[in-house]
Amino acid sequence: MIERRFHRDLYSTASVDGAVKVFEGFARFELVDDGDYRVVRISAKRPERERKVALELGNYALGLTRKGGIS
Amino acid sequence: MSTQTLDGFPKDLAVGDLAEGSVTLTVDAAVYPLEAIYGAAYIFIDRCFVLLDRPKAGSVAVTLTSKKGPADAEALRRMAGEFANELLTQAWRQKIIEENRVILETVTTQALAGATARAAGAAEPSLDDLASFDFTEEAFDDPLGIAMSWEEKYKKKTPTEAASEATVEGGGAEAKP
Repeated sequence: MIERRFHRDLYSTASVDGAVKVFEGFARFELVDDGDYRVVRISAKRPERERKVALELGNYALGLTRKGGIS
Repeated sequence: MSTQTLDGFPKDLAVGDLAEGSVTLTVDAAVYPLEAIYGAAYIFIDRCFVLLDRPKAGSVAVTLTSKKGPADAEALRRMAGEFANELLTQAWRQKIIEENRVILETVTTQALAGATARAAGAAEPSLDDLASFDFTEEAFDDPLGIAMSWEEKYKKKTPTEAASEATVEGGGAEAKP
């Protein structure tokens, strides 16, 4: 399992949740709030896949945040 | 984990991870506005995986992971340098936008106000007005023949026209004191 932590000052919750929704067909996701962070836990069959999905998720969440203005 | 500092970068500013093919830059939010960081990060999305973090208040950590996999120190250094340059460009652009904001808003407001006033004033004729307009009337007087074509103005005169013109000119000369 890989964990990605998205700070709320930098990523809007809607962007992180939106990105997870887009990638939910590629891995299993668990969303958790941890203080200032929106934490996404990613599980897949292979570690390489987890890593790839985690990286792509970060880019997608950034894109959505940027599209929607500053969080 | 094989983290290492990058040549040309202070240790607390950029750290590379050769195994991951990533570099993490710590940016002072007081120097570079958040909007500039977003702008630079967004530009790098096509060649890197970008992750932003806030390690402490007032700073933003930008982790760039190469999409090509593990990278050597030189590639990471180049990636970090290009990002730093882009960051500066974005910050400078933000500053220019801020400085010109009032001018932009004024010009836009004036343009919109002008367009609105023209539309509300109904100065342009409607289709009904055009339908009832009398186009047979002479558009304007042209005593000097400015609107006349060259052929019309300098065409070869018939003997009758030439004679009458000479008479008029001759009579005019006689009338002079």
